[in-house]
Amino acid sequence: MPFVNDILRYRSLSIVGLEKNTGKTVCLNYILQRLNQMEVSLGVTSIGVDGEQVDAVFATAKPEITLYKGTRFITSEQHYMKRQVVSVLEHVDSRRTSLGPLVTARVLIQGKVLLSGAATTGALREQIQMLDSMGCNLSIVDGALSRLSLASPTVTEAMILATGAAVSANVKQLVSKTKFLHNLILLDEVDSDLREKLSTIPSGLWAVDNEGEPHDLGIASVFLIDRAEKDILRFGKTLFASGAVSDRLLRILAAKEKGITLIARDFTKLFITPEAYVEFTRRDGRLRVLQRSKLIAVTLNPTSPQGFLLDSKSTCEALSDALQTPVYDVKKIEG
Amino acid sequence: MIKGTLKEDKRKIRGRQEEDERKNEEPMKIKELIKQDAGFQYIIDSMDFMSAAGRRCMLNTEFCNNADELHAEWHRLEHAIQATREYKYKKPYIDLRHCLMCLHDLQGTLASLSNHTPLNEVELFEIKNLSQLSQTAKNAIANMGLGDILPIPETTEVFSLLDPDHTGIANFYIYDSYDPRLTPLRRELNALQTSEGDPVRISQLLAEQNEIQNEVCLRLSDQLHPWSKTLITTMEQMAYTDFLLAKADLSIRWELSQPEIGDIIEYKGLVNPRLKERNEKQKLRYQPVDITLHLGVCLITGANMAGKTVLLKSVGTAQIMAQCGMYVPASKAVIRLLEGVVTSIGDDQDEMNGLSSYAAEIIKISDILSTCRSREMLVLIDEPARTTNPVEGKALVQAIIKILNTLNSFTLITTHYSQLGVDCRRLRVKGFVEDLADLPLNPQNINRFIDYSLTEDQSDNVPHEALRIATILQCDSEMIALAQEKLLN
Repeated sequence: MPFVNDILRYRSLSIVGLEKNTGKTVCLNYILQRLNQMEVSLGVTSIGVDGEQVDAVFATAKPEITLYKGTRFITSEQHYMKRQVVSVLEHVDSRRTSLGPLVTARVLIQGKVLLSGAATTGALREQIQMLDSMGCNLSIVDGALSRLSLASPTVTEAMILATGAAVSANVKQLVSKTKFLHNLILLDEVDSDLREKLSTIPSGLWAVDNEGEPHDLGIASVFLIDRAEKDILRFGKTLFASGAVSDRLLRILAAKEKGITLIARDFTKLFITPEAYVEFTRRDGRLRVLQRSKLIAVTLNPTSPQGFLLDSKSTCEALSDALQTPVYDVKKIEG
Repeated sequence: MIKGTLKEDKRKIRGRQEEDERKNEEPMKIKELIKQDAGFQYIIDSMDFMSAAGRRCMLNTEFCNNADELHAEWHRLEHAIQATREYKYKKPYIDLRHCLMCLHDLQGTLASLSNHTPLNEVELFEIKNLSQLSQTAKNAIANMGLGDILPIPETTEVFSLLDPDHTGIANFYIYDSYDPRLTPLRRELNALQTSEGDPVRISQLLAEQNEIQNEVCLRLSDQLHPWSKTLITTMEQMAYTDFLLAKADLSIRWELSQPEIGDIIEYKGLVNPRLKERNEKQKLRYQPVDITLHLGVCLITGANMAGKTVLLKSVGTAQIMAQCGMYVPASKAVIRLLEGVVTSIGDDQDEMNGLSSYAAEIIKISDILSTCRSREMLVLIDEPARTTNPVEGKALVQAIIKILNTLNSFTLITTHYSQLGVDCRRLRVKGFVEDLADLPLNPQNINRFIDYSLTEDQSDNVPHEALRIATILQCDSEMIALAQEKLLN
């Protein structure tokens, strides 16, 4: 029973995919089934709208999510009306989505449901808190499309990364794309003193001096960096970006000086390509994060929505070698 | 600058007139008064509503000119203030606020219920929740001694109907006890689901179950239908409770006072809440003003920065607050009950987009005149005709004053025009205090040297302090010198 025991150490878990159709739902079903045998009080929700029976983009059949007795779930009113479980309504949210208000219910007789959830990470955090206060030991968030924001350690404590043939039918490319994101997820954390000082900074680009003290560089957004009047490296070569980190920022820093350390909040704030990252590291640049995500497992879906089928065993091996971590074909372990 | 074509302007104007005629029939509501730009939006934004329904209740409040109704509302407010003071950090108040926080706006659901539209499970849950919340609120209200003022209908029967198993919890589903067919069906369904049994049979059972559930929903909707009026009242009373508590809370925070009703408008220590809060934040002095208004026009003159516009907004805000059943931001207040507040303050509003600022303004003033011909209003006009040439501008101001003086309105007009030669009352803001020339002044501390109080003014001249203020503000010295030279010539 690989990696399910690891999950139980956390109070919240997100399942995110590198792309659409990378098998998040299959993975979630596997976890739900295993947890059902372990008497965990479980909450399940999603970000945005997910759980359609048929994939809206590629029209491929999508596995539905099976929930077991005692599980609490959050979904929209419209999806709730289509449920195949018998369940008790416990809460209705006052905010409305395009599919009606979000409702929370507890399963009495197991069956399949369609999940939908809050559209923003802020609202998602509230939903997780609510599940927690209702007595759920673990809340699982099913990702939508290729959104990563829910995997931020400020939203969910731990994550599972789903990859697969949908990312690329070329194993080499699949490995390199997965490895790149995997590297970002595993970036080193800064020490806890510095984290405490930086985490309350609301916005802008800041410098960190040799004593670990932050200084406001007066740059409200990293997009305004070329308008900076004073040298941004006047306090030293360590910088902290409170918001998003882009390719442009990395390239500007790489051009400026060698050996710059850039601290981001977490990997979900890094909107960068491998190319820009390589340029930055070639100039001895280093990326750090305030908080590293707890990556529990990497899973593989060898089928692509266009119908490609990768060889499960060799692809898993290639990925495991590159990532130095076990990779599971969820369809196989499920069976 | 003319931004739209004449044709468009005319079309806009005609559409607007028709709309106004329709509106003139009925009392103004708060949501319409917000558009009058008298600073009332700030009042609403400062109120601490627990629910969207409470806010809606406020926005739908009518501008009331019935003395008995207002006295009754102020009486309720007085009780709510006392109760808030006494119970603020105690259980009943906290319970009540929590109930209101959980209150959902069920207008749509309750409308369905009274129209015989069947409700679904989520809607039934919402009704069950409302009935439970309202009963908890009812108890809290009684414990605060407000039971007579805030009567909440009895809905325990609604709750029982939706709680056939007597759980006492506001959860909901189509309980087995609603229909004898459900127990065996669900037993079989459960057995099949947990043993991964025949999927065809499972779908069959699910479909059957859905059918029964729909039947039950229909039956429950029918049984609840006679309660729809009571539930709507419950919803409205809960919303009103939220509104009343928010009013009480604001009255305490801002030290508002209950106005008296009289034939004139008279404020002692009138405050503009928005400016006062801003000044307090910046540790600046705030000077309340006294003002008395009689029927007819009163001209306000005074230097720039002397707070003339703020004064108009303060008077407008206080009038709206009073006639919406609130207390007012003054230490003592007498108000005359009027039919509404109309203003022309600031630049053109959104709806006037496409018109030049002069066109927008003069249309607004013309609307004001037509409203005042049939209704008794509070009229606030800030520097009329300031964006056009002074010769025609002055003539227009004279005409506006003359007309409004003959109508049944209380009018405040600020102006910089001298020698208007019209017969009306004049109040002057005292403005800059003497012997301060040697002090270093800047826009931040300038307000310390202004006396905002009003004085009766018999002369037809306005203060000429534009250059002095420009000097104090350290504006371009060449410009100021040249202007002074021009004046001397």
